[in-house]
Amino acid sequence: MARSMRTCLHSGRLALLAILVSGGIVLQILACALYNNWWPMLTVLMYLILPMPLIFFLGSNSPSMMSNDGDTWVSFTKFLTGASIVGSIAIPSILKHAGVIGWGALTMELSSFLVFGVAILWLIQMNSEDEYSSAF
Amino acid sequence: MDTTSFPAVWAVVGPGVAGAVFGVGWWFWVDAVVCSAAAVPFLHYLPGLFASFAALMFNCVKREDANYNYYSPYDDSEWRLKLWLFVSYVVSFVSLAGAVGFLVQDALTDTGPSAWTGVAGVLQSVFVLISGLMYWTCHSED
Repeated sequence: MARSMRTCLHSGRLALLAILVSGGIVLQILACALYNNWWPMLTVLMYLILPMPLIFFLGSNSPSMMSNDGDTWVSFTKFLTGASIVGSIAIPSILKHAGVIGWGALTMELSSFLVFGVAILWLIQMNSEDEYSSAF
Repeated sequence: MDTTSFPAVWAVVGPGVAGAVFGVGWWFWVDAVVCSAAAVPFLHYLPGLFASFAALMFNCVKREDANYNYYSPYDDSEWRLKLWLFVSYVVSFVSLAGAVGFLVQDALTDTGPSAWTGVAGVLQSVFVLISGLMYWTCHSED
């Protein structure tokens, strides 16, 4: 019973994670389609750039993102990740400042980024715990 | 993660915060260039580029090598590190001075870029140099 319960909870968490990512994508598409203004799609470029340092430099060493036992490559990965996060916030803000998009699209863009951020952090946290450190 | 002392937490999150501050600086400049009615000449890009170069320069020196406990077979090699740090300080100072000069020029003249371009240039140089200092203080290799 405990094993099937744990598997059921794990599948539930995976399903909720998929719902979060889908919600982020829906918000991104809505920010463009509702106003028929596709400039906010530039943020998708920054979403593509965001996981690249993690994939290229860390690989399977992703737990070292949350600890300080990494080397120079881990610090550089953190630097690039921080810069990419700011880019995801800066692109909608600059488009709003230039008058290309309105407040509604800006709010949906930032909400989409927030939802994606929560999903990514939750995925990292789920990947970092293994079977033996589980609470069950 | 050791959360009981600030240096340990800073060593974990410091590189990310430095990257974020670096991104903030450069995106301020992108905002100024995009929203500017007049074309921004290339000369106005130089303070930001020099600030980024200065941040790269003093991050080439490891923090542990620059103190007096550093042992070297060439016993006079310490002055080379300090000379390099001094040159990077000069480059950062020149970039800040250039940014402030362009701010004054943009604010006083009616032609050319607006005052926001000058303000964004100063903010860019300041944020880029702050990110370099953050990365230098939190990134230690041993």
